[in-house]
Amino acid sequence: MNIHEYQAKQLFKSHGVPVPDGGAATTEREARDLLKEIGPDVVVKAQVHAGGRGKGRIVKRDRTTRIYNDLTSDPERHEGQIIGRRRGGVRLASGTEEALKEFRPMMEPDARLVSIQTGPDGAPVSAALIEQQTSIAKEYYFSIQVDGANGQPLIVASAEGGQSIEEVNRTNPRAVLRVPVDPVEGFPSFRGRSLASQLGLPSSAIRPAGEMFANLYRVFIDMDASLVEVNPFVLTTEGTVVAIDGKVGLDDNASFRHGGYEEWRDRSQENPTEIEAEEANIGSYIKLDGDIGCVVNGAGLAMATMDTLMLHGGEPANFLDIGTVNRKDRVIEALRIIVNDPDVKTIFINIFGGLARVDIVAEGVVDAVKELNIQQPLVVRLNGSNVEEGRRVLHDSGIAVQTADELGDAAELAVQAAKSGKRRSRSSN
Amino acid sequence: MSILLNNRTRLLIQGLGNEGQNQIRRSLDYGTKVVAGVHPGFRGGETFSHGNHTFPVFATVSEAVENTQANCTIIYVPAPGAADAILENVAAEVPLIVCITEGVPVHDMIRVRTALEGSKSKLIGPNCPGIIQPASNCRVGIHPPDVFMPGNVGVVSRSGTLVYEAVDQLTRAGIGQSTCVGVGGDPIIGEQQQAILRRFNSDPDTDAVVLIGEIGGLAEQAAAAYIKRSMNKPVVAFIAGATAPPGRRMGHAGAIIEGEAGTAEAKLTALEEAGAVISRSPAEIGSTMRRVLEEAGKYQPPGSTD
Repeated sequence: MNIHEYQAKQLFKSHGVPVPDGGAATTEREARDLLKEIGPDVVVKAQVHAGGRGKGRIVKRDRTTRIYNDLTSDPERHEGQIIGRRRGGVRLASGTEEALKEFRPMMEPDARLVSIQTGPDGAPVSAALIEQQTSIAKEYYFSIQVDGANGQPLIVASAEGGQSIEEVNRTNPRAVLRVPVDPVEGFPSFRGRSLASQLGLPSSAIRPAGEMFANLYRVFIDMDASLVEVNPFVLTTEGTVVAIDGKVGLDDNASFRHGGYEEWRDRSQENPTEIEAEEANIGSYIKLDGDIGCVVNGAGLAMATMDTLMLHGGEPANFLDIGTVNRKDRVIEALRIIVNDPDVKTIFINIFGGLARVDIVAEGVVDAVKELNIQQPLVVRLNGSNVEEGRRVLHDSGIAVQTADELGDAAELAVQAAKSGKRRSRSSN
Repeated sequence: MSILLNNRTRLLIQGLGNEGQNQIRRSLDYGTKVVAGVHPGFRGGETFSHGNHTFPVFATVSEAVENTQANCTIIYVPAPGAADAILENVAAEVPLIVCITEGVPVHDMIRVRTALEGSKSKLIGPNCPGIIQPASNCRVGIHPPDVFMPGNVGVVSRSGTLVYEAVDQLTRAGIGQSTCVGVGGDPIIGEQQQAILRRFNSDPDTDAVVLIGEIGGLAEQAAAAYIKRSMNKPVVAFIAGATAPPGRRMGHAGAIIEGEAGTAEAKLTALEEAGAVISRSPAEIGSTMRRVLEEAGKYQPPGSTD
């Protein structure tokens, strides 16, 4: 789960990581109060769960697609233009009136931030972070993430901060330092000082930077984070360090010990259909561009089902891992999501039961066809636990459904049904 | 008797909730030797029965091991307690721990991996279907038993349902399985694919291996490096997600470790260069293996295995 920059900075601050003075505002009054406190020279940053804000644009909702296509067709061209007349998501201002001029369009009710990472719909702006400007001598990169292969946290740092770290890694891999963390030792300040020294920070900044790294590691541990990233932290002209950006990813699997991360979550930044899927306890749903709606159990089989459809010339409308099905209402909820997608011309259900019982899946399918009045052609492939029972349920129900025992045959049927585009008469294998 | 399990496997089940009970009944029906259960709230003297089978249930793993000489544990404990259950088995020196649980926090798994280092235990999972060995009727997991058949092909996969899919195709193609291992889909797991390949490589009961990977991570590259260096048996490989749109990764940082290596294409190239036979379609894993076995003179028609 992603959180906003202003929330990441709250965490940083409470863990002793230096951040610029400032805070989040959603109303003009809040903005004025903040500006009185920290003005006159500030930076105003749109709060969305997407990167590329500085090179993005604040626009009204009805223009997002056009701007997105513009940005993605030639990102290079826009890079130079946006800072200047056009309104990006990160703006410098001097004085209250100038700052409010930047603040207001961000907080218009239908304002969206569009960047190359938001997709054509852009992202609603949840708040504006207003902070004091920092006098920057040099920018650096720092992150902590989980290195799955080694089963340890991994710190990545670079003296080439403030730009895409992947780009730095591509063009100058030696500028990217990787420091595996011994989880028993953690990341005490002395390790931090040693990293600060390797990054070439001046002697005045070694101690505060070492503390900052150790404290960022505490954020990583305390919050069950999957990522803590500061790009950039800066060396100020006064010779100390400040985290001027912040990104924290939280591990959804650990939400049970953090009150569901409710205080950090912002549902307005999430896809409504994906929230619906989550509330129905469906493992995972991602909308795609095709016309064959898929309901599959297991992420691996769900991907393999998409692969098979495409090899047979079809296009999946979604990725849906229904998870372990032991209640039929979950099947109905999954199918409700699929049926509500206007792009879906055919529905393909592929369930290989292990923990999941396919007879329950079959009952769910039968109920869903009636309850949701499903009109699209339905192709069902069942296998695994209680398969005989499941096939019998489908057969006895009398619903119009095409079935196949093997993955390839079933995918073929689904692709044909999508191409012919109309409901077939009742048939069975 | 192939890898990880054999007919001396004495299974302990930890977590006798509804799902654990359902699954252990199916393992008992399959013929698996279940010797003990562990569940909080049981204070000794209780037993679990199913048909003709009865085993004692203990409060702790160490009591269970001491009293029953269990040498393998299957964990069905819900996510909040799963890492604790694994650590309890490491402390009790259970040689093989299989954790089915989905949704274990990644920081818990960091702790588990640290505890496993230098211990007497090996871990499979979490977030996996477990291990099944048809010839010894040993089912340590959640597999649908009917699709499996004894034979000479090993299966290793990150995805659970793709184990079933691949095995179903193998069985339909007249190819039995020596041992099938789902290593798990989480970022941090116990044994990874290359460790399982190494086991199959020195297993006299395995003549060829199906390797099923997925996009993301670097595990398939490590497996490819092992195949290139040491594998002396044919490997048929499939990577799920070749047609998936670029994933919505949290931040950019994940990509630093793996770069372009996380894509299906990069993994398939690495595996192909290492000498694995690639099945582009997930529906052709069985037929590809059949061809590979016949070319190697290792195809054993059903019923010919001992």
